[in-house]
Amino acid sequence: MLTEAPPAPAGPERRTATRVLVEHHEVLRGLIRHLRRTPCSRPGRRRALAGELYDELWMHERIEEEIFYPAMRDVTPALAAAWSEHRQLSDQLAALVRADPRTERFDRELDMLHDALESHAHLDEERRMFPEVERFADEDLLVGLGDRLSARLGRLRSSRRVRMVLRLQRTLLRHTAR
Amino acid sequence: MAQCALDRLPNAIEGEGRLDRPGHRLEHGLAFTENLLGITGGRARAVLHGVWLGHPLHPVFTDLPIGSWTTALVLDLTGHRRAARAAVGVGIAGALAAAVTGLHDWQHTHDEARRVGLVHGTLNTLALGLYGWSWWQRGRGHHLRGLLAALLGYPVIMASGFLGGTLVYRHRIGVDRTDERCEPRRFTRAMAERDLPDRSPRRARAGDVDVVLVRVDGRVHALEDACPHLGGPLSQGWLRDGSLTCPWHGSRFALSGGRSLNGPATAPAPCFQTRVRDGWIEVRRAPALTTAPPGSALAHQQEVQP
Repeated sequence: MLTEAPPAPAGPERRTATRVLVEHHEVLRGLIRHLRRTPCSRPGRRRALAGELYDELWMHERIEEEIFYPAMRDVTPALAAAWSEHRQLSDQLAALVRADPRTERFDRELDMLHDALESHAHLDEERRMFPEVERFADEDLLVGLGDRLSARLGRLRSSRRVRMVLRLQRTLLRHTAR
Repeated sequence: MAQCALDRLPNAIEGEGRLDRPGHRLEHGLAFTENLLGITGGRARAVLHGVWLGHPLHPVFTDLPIGSWTTALVLDLTGHRRAARAAVGVGIAGALAAAVTGLHDWQHTHDEARRVGLVHGTLNTLALGLYGWSWWQRGRGHHLRGLLAALLGYPVIMASGFLGGTLVYRHRIGVDRTDERCEPRRFTRAMAERDLPDRSPRRARAGDVDVVLVRVDGRVHALEDACPHLGGPLSQGWLRDGSLTCPWHGSRFALSGGRSLNGPATAPAPCFQTRVRDGWIEVRRAPALTTAPPGSALAHQQEVQP
């Protein structure tokens, strides 16, 4: 008797590297939106959100720099610019963490972080680099990279050592601010 | 023949991808240190890049160690031990200043130049170590050991100086990247006025030149779209305290005049005069002041106001 082959076990849905990164961009955008909606009368909440943004953006830069960019070296020429845009984001992030969340300066730094993130994530990656990568890179390669990116992101998020280092960085930055 | 041999060294370094990882590690550490010290957003940033000087500050200091250590070598050979030690000391002070300014410039370079810069810096550190040891040994009366360390360090600093030259003359690091053009000489339509939002940079094309247009407080400003540092697209940048920030390395440019405010760009971004006619934003190159004779086309361009 002919029976139909059982459907393949429904494992977790596999996503391409660009999909993983775009989704993480959305997480970062959501955090910025959330921060913008939080009034300066709640400085504690603002500081906590800024801390979370610091950690997430730091991890985003790490997974891109350690996994995605090295794999894309022969696919797109835009990597050097992307590296330096990360640096601008890190600098702006430090400026945000150093700003007092009760002041207007915090809002200004947040606006600039928003602009810097859009410049990198939207104008550079989502509109230019990712379409190029999707056109020229192998689909299997991208799915494999996507697995590695999300696995690494999960590991970074759950690592106590990373959390501790990041908290130390934020504390140092805040306490040296003038 | 000799030229080929000398070419091979920078070529080998430029192609060495394994230098990227330590390079980026170093940059991360450097970025955190600069943010911690408040250099990134402070005035020290512009000072270290040499914005006040109009060109990078680093090459001003590099002459000190090379010159002083050459002098020390001559003094050693002629038997002036104390003077030789003093010369070594002056060179060490210059090398430290060159290291600080050099690292500050290096962190904003790309790809091949970055690799060459990393090797250049490593060699300099090695030479600095050798000369530091030489200075110390000379102070303790071990002149021969001091001389030996200096003899070892001298070829290292020469090789490193050669790589420094490669960075400037081949990779054009620290060089003003803007090309000297006069176009558009007449007011040229760049963009419909209603398409330009407030306080948000937009790219437009005037003739065959890419410009970035920014409207602040009702005034339209126009700069060339390529950053004079490494050519970053200024139209993808953002405004900070009324100046336009390059998205690649964070150089800030004054909207009127295009003066660089913080580096790494030390040259101004080329500027355009703007006016609005029939709903169109029109731009014309604001020429640099020249000594053109009266009546010439360039002088005419300078004199006629929009």
